[in-house]
Amino acid sequence: MERVAWVPDDVDEGLPSAARLYDYLLGGGHNFAADRELAAKFLKAQPNARNIARENRAFLRRSVLFMIESGVRQFLDLGSGIPTVGNVHEIAQKADPDAHVVYVDYEEVAVAHSKLLLENNDRATIVQADLTVPESILEHPDTRALLDFDRPIGVLTAGVFHFVSPAKEPKRIVAAYRDAVAPGSYLAISQFTADFMPEEMAGIVEVMKNSRDPMFPRSYDEILDLFEGCDVVEPGVVATPLWRPESVTAASDEPTRAGIYAGVGRKR
Amino acid sequence: MTPSGEGQQPHDARRQRRLALARAWAAAVADTTYVPMSPREIEEYLLALVDRIGDALSAEPFDPEPVAEIGTLLVRAHFSGPETLERTLDVLGRTLLFNPETGPVDRLAERVVTVLGAVASGYATAMRQDAFDQQEEIKRALLNAKNDVERVLKVSEARFRQVFATSAVGIAITDLTGRCVEANAALAEILATESSSLVGRQFDELLYATDTDGLHAIYRDLVDGVLDTYRERGRLRRDDGETAWVYLAVSVLRDADGNPTHHVTMVEDITELHLLADQLSHQALHDALTGLANRQYFASRLESALGSPAPITLYHLGLDAFSVVNHGLGHDVGDRLLKIVARRLEAAVQGERALVARISGDEFAVLVQHSPTTPSVLDMIRILQDELAEPVYLDDQGVAVSAGIGVVDQPPAGIEIADLLRAANSALRRAKANGKRQWSIYEQREDEAERVRSRLAAVLPGAWESGEISVAYQPMVRLTDGRIVGVEAVITWEHAEHGVVSPRDCMRLAEDTGLSLPIGLWALEAACGRAREWQDLFGDGAPTLWLRLTPLQSGDADLVGAVRQTLADTGLGPSAVRIALDTGAVLAELGDAADNLRVLADTGVGTALHEFGGAHQELGLLVESKTQALLLSPAVVREIVGNTPALRRALGEMVSVAHLAEGVVAAAGIDTAEQADRCRSIGVDLAQGAHFAPPLPPEQIPALLNGV
Repeated sequence: MERVAWVPDDVDEGLPSAARLYDYLLGGGHNFAADRELAAKFLKAQPNARNIARENRAFLRRSVLFMIESGVRQFLDLGSGIPTVGNVHEIAQKADPDAHVVYVDYEEVAVAHSKLLLENNDRATIVQADLTVPESILEHPDTRALLDFDRPIGVLTAGVFHFVSPAKEPKRIVAAYRDAVAPGSYLAISQFTADFMPEEMAGIVEVMKNSRDPMFPRSYDEILDLFEGCDVVEPGVVATPLWRPESVTAASDEPTRAGIYAGVGRKR
Repeated sequence: MTPSGEGQQPHDARRQRRLALARAWAAAVADTTYVPMSPREIEEYLLALVDRIGDALSAEPFDPEPVAEIGTLLVRAHFSGPETLERTLDVLGRTLLFNPETGPVDRLAERVVTVLGAVASGYATAMRQDAFDQQEEIKRALLNAKNDVERVLKVSEARFRQVFATSAVGIAITDLTGRCVEANAALAEILATESSSLVGRQFDELLYATDTDGLHAIYRDLVDGVLDTYRERGRLRRDDGETAWVYLAVSVLRDADGNPTHHVTMVEDITELHLLADQLSHQALHDALTGLANRQYFASRLESALGSPAPITLYHLGLDAFSVVNHGLGHDVGDRLLKIVARRLEAAVQGERALVARISGDEFAVLVQHSPTTPSVLDMIRILQDELAEPVYLDDQGVAVSAGIGVVDQPPAGIEIADLLRAANSALRRAKANGKRQWSIYEQREDEAERVRSRLAAVLPGAWESGEISVAYQPMVRLTDGRIVGVEAVITWEHAEHGVVSPRDCMRLAEDTGLSLPIGLWALEAACGRAREWQDLFGDGAPTLWLRLTPLQSGDADLVGAVRQTLADTGLGPSAVRIALDTGAVLAELGDAADNLRVLADTGVGTALHEFGGAHQELGLLVESKTQALLLSPAVVREIVGNTPALRRALGEMVSVAHLAEGVVAAAGIDTAEQADRCRSIGVDLAQGAHFAPPLPPEQIPALLNGV
């Protein structure tokens, strides 16, 4: 029997999605008019949005490579979105072709797109589920088929928790994933904050308020709190460009303009 | 071989220049786009492109063809931000024009422009192609997503259809006005109808009027969100008029905006469960053997019948000699008999508003609520007796069943159930006391007497202790000459409240309480003492002393010893007494009764039989035992003194037979001269009763004997 976490009435490309907005900001073409319309508003509220998206995507890449270097060969990418440039399985499998990746997203176009991309890759798959319902992912047969929970797993949440409202208790959600993985697993979190540019952030919140994916920026303390049960690796929770930059020049831009905090923790 | 210093120098310099260009290029485009490579990887990637451009510029003859691919290579590696090309052309243009590689290149500016044009054009084409590919991909993804959703919806719809159609649970989908939009086969089955006939009907039609308002409120609360779901036992009207007992589970269907549109009502048929519950309660209320109502259920039905205006009659039946069947033929046979009796009693009251119950081992009760056609009590008793009288064949043996019936007719409305049942029971006891197949209607008065009796029995021992009991003497008269030839010693009780308790009642009370033996002994001693006194006074003219013994006294193993001891103690001659044993007790050989009679007679003690009914075996006993006298039973006396000469003559025959056996025949309870005459007319020898004298204290007897 087919497992479906939920059943949408229809797929409406007239409804902008955060995944396609991100793709657009990264220069991708996997988007529709409505997404580009939303992107225009987004850019008006936060003119630096392209850089912020780029820095976030770059953090994802660096965190994956860091985990690879730390010996992790399995990844659970929560809220993976539209497969755009520099996907986790490409990064990981370039380092080790045997790396396993499970993508998770709830947006049906993103999922369909990921399926197309992963058609011929038996070491990566996409699970359609809501990341705020961890058991639906952790117990999903596709997840279980690809990931060995007795060995370390890299849990990636790049730019997704700002879509999780406080009511859904993000800490409880993170804890569920953390509890499910073996000690020595890693958790990467990046999410919007109003700590750096409160005005622009407020603008973004306003723009996204009535979309399918309203946003909830969090403070440094709140984000650090999500790493409970983990040792946060150097340099801690910082603006994305400052997280283990690959060259001095790469982080030369005013880092706080990245708007997003990032950090990686190692499960004790 | 050593490489030429001159040859190496320009080559290294070119390398450095190209590397510097690649770095400048990377820096220029770094923030225009995201390229998933490390800075070093980016430089190396761009350096390869710089090589290609540099080589093309210096190639002879000049050919821009290899450069055309650069645009594609840039776009493929995602050097494809909105400003990436502009920055690329800027860096390349400036560097290539002012940093010529080795030596002068012919028409450099023209070549550079051509190269940059080729890069730009290739880039534009690649971008167009890339955008086209991406749009193609995303549209395919969208299509797939839509197909997926549709497929899921189809599966889900199919699944719903499957569940809806094959569910054992009845499902009705109704709109907010209560009109049935869809109903499944299970619901139709529960309601004994077709599902097509349910569609379009108001759900209300399926409800009982008394349930409608409550359910309306619940459906409203569901719509208002006060209730999430509702699950409760209920009942629905089936199309065949029967009731379906169901669990109802109701919830609300909402549209995409969350507005309520329909109700879903799940209907689980629990009629069988309900029937099972009924059966369980039936078992609690009914007798397992006969299936009749049990005592508890009967009592509750009796109570509600009493509350209704229709008059009722209560019949309490006790089977005659059921223990004989049970012991003689076995319990299985007894059980079968009880079942047959149950069915017959039901048959007897068929057509009446009546309830038959088994209220104890061999006792049944019938409650009849009167209707204009209800038979009278007498007719009903006849119907019940006739129904039972039909022989029952058990193991090929015909067994006749009869029952005693106690009747309480039209009890007052306020009577307690316990009192009513007790009244019926008391009437039954009275009926049974009269023999088989008897019946008795409860009379308030009789019952009163019974209660008085019980109270008296309770206080009798104390009364004896305190001297309220005394021995009195009632004369016995010879009918031929009116002479007092005997006195019967009787015990009397002067009760403070109830006055004088008759000797007969007194002895019955004593018998019931087990006091008859000591009281009897005490009376024997007292009476013998008095008789001795009278013998001393009157010699041969002294009266014979009669003592009537109760059944218990008759069978007492110590009777002979006690009599002989007393006679010896008082010095009274054995022939001066008539110890009258109970006929029934002797015949039934109750205790030592038969031996007592024989031994007393053998030792010369005067004996008699009382409660003599004149039956064959009684006459046989009279002849065999050489008993000197007999005291006729009250029933026989009633027949002798009654108005039926033929009966009287027949009893005269009996008296003659007694005379032939040399027995003296005595009749007690003679209250009038006429009665005395009738006794005399058939040869009765002695008579006693109010007509002659009441029981008297011993002091008065000598005067009577003197004829004073």
